[in-house]
Amino acid sequence: MWCYEKRLQFPVKINKTCPKTAQLIISQYGGPDGELSASMRYLAQRYSMPVKKVGGLLTDIGTEEINHMEIICAMVYQLTKNLTPEQAKTAGFDAYYIDHTAGLWPQAAAGVPFTSLEFQSKGDAMTDLFEDLAAEQKARTVYENLLRVIDEPDVREPLKFLRAREIVHFQRFGEALEMTKQKLDSKNFYYFNPEFDKEMFKNKDAN
Amino acid sequence: MSILDECCKTSETLAMASVPLQEWCEPYDLNTALSKGTIFPCLNMEFFRAEDIPCSICNENQSPQAKKLNEINTISFAINDLTLYLDTHPACEKGLSLFKELLKKRLDLLAEYAEEFVPLTHLSMITGTPDTCEYGWPEGPLPWEGGHI
Repeated sequence: MWCYEKRLQFPVKINKTCPKTAQLIISQYGGPDGELSASMRYLAQRYSMPVKKVGGLLTDIGTEEINHMEIICAMVYQLTKNLTPEQAKTAGFDAYYIDHTAGLWPQAAAGVPFTSLEFQSKGDAMTDLFEDLAAEQKARTVYENLLRVIDEPDVREPLKFLRAREIVHFQRFGEALEMTKQKLDSKNFYYFNPEFDKEMFKNKDAN
Repeated sequence: MSILDECCKTSETLAMASVPLQEWCEPYDLNTALSKGTIFPCLNMEFFRAEDIPCSICNENQSPQAKKLNEINTISFAINDLTLYLDTHPACEKGLSLFKELLKKRLDLLAEYAEEFVPLTHLSMITGTPDTCEYGWPEGPLPWEGGHI
């Protein structure tokens, strides 16, 4: 169950229309390492996680990623809400404008539509946690790529915040990996899949 | 028993990665924490191309409404960050006591905001001014408009 609160996790107030910047930032909405992909990844993986606390962490981080998606969308929206046809034509936003005007639609910077192929839910706790660790690093790289080329302070500030969250999430997934490892045999972590071979997972009732 | 003994301590082995468990470190003040993206100084790893960004949250010249919303934002963010910390450190007493203290303050702030300005949640309609306030969405700007700030 989710509840909505009428505020952003990090405030966004952008006054200057800039379709070119919007076209770059939209990748963190619907791109391969974007926030939509992040939230769907964690919220999909949690159901079959063998360690209860890890399923809980995936729920909390997946929920935060939805907040981040909202921040990115607010940025794209504010960068394009007063778009003129002339700006749409000249500023690199033209192809997007033809299909979506100034509405929000999840796609990557290069125009590739969002698909669930952007993330994995593999049904193996170790595999999924490594996917999650990698996902946080990939998103960090994208935020750094954006911070290198975008100059406006009111756009950079939320991007800096979102980059910092990737590092915190990486740490938490690392701790989740350790919690999962603790329930397995350290001589061979790969003897069985704790998420599927349930009869082998002796600690399954422990938290 | 320290947190490290209680949780997450496995020896290093071949063909497996390890991440050390974070130990408690004294949190930033709430404004700095939101601006940095974490309440924990030990997890703040800056990017060299983003060190110059000013902290607009720390700006003192805000309207009373913006100021109050900022208080809600900063306290809520500290709770978000602590939530994840406690997910992996459920027995940390310092973390738990700060968590409870902030949760209580946040409830008060949400009620004050609903009373003085607009409710941010449907739940706050009852703690605010239920006789005069309209139902939900028409009141106040939408969050993605950047209205209050």
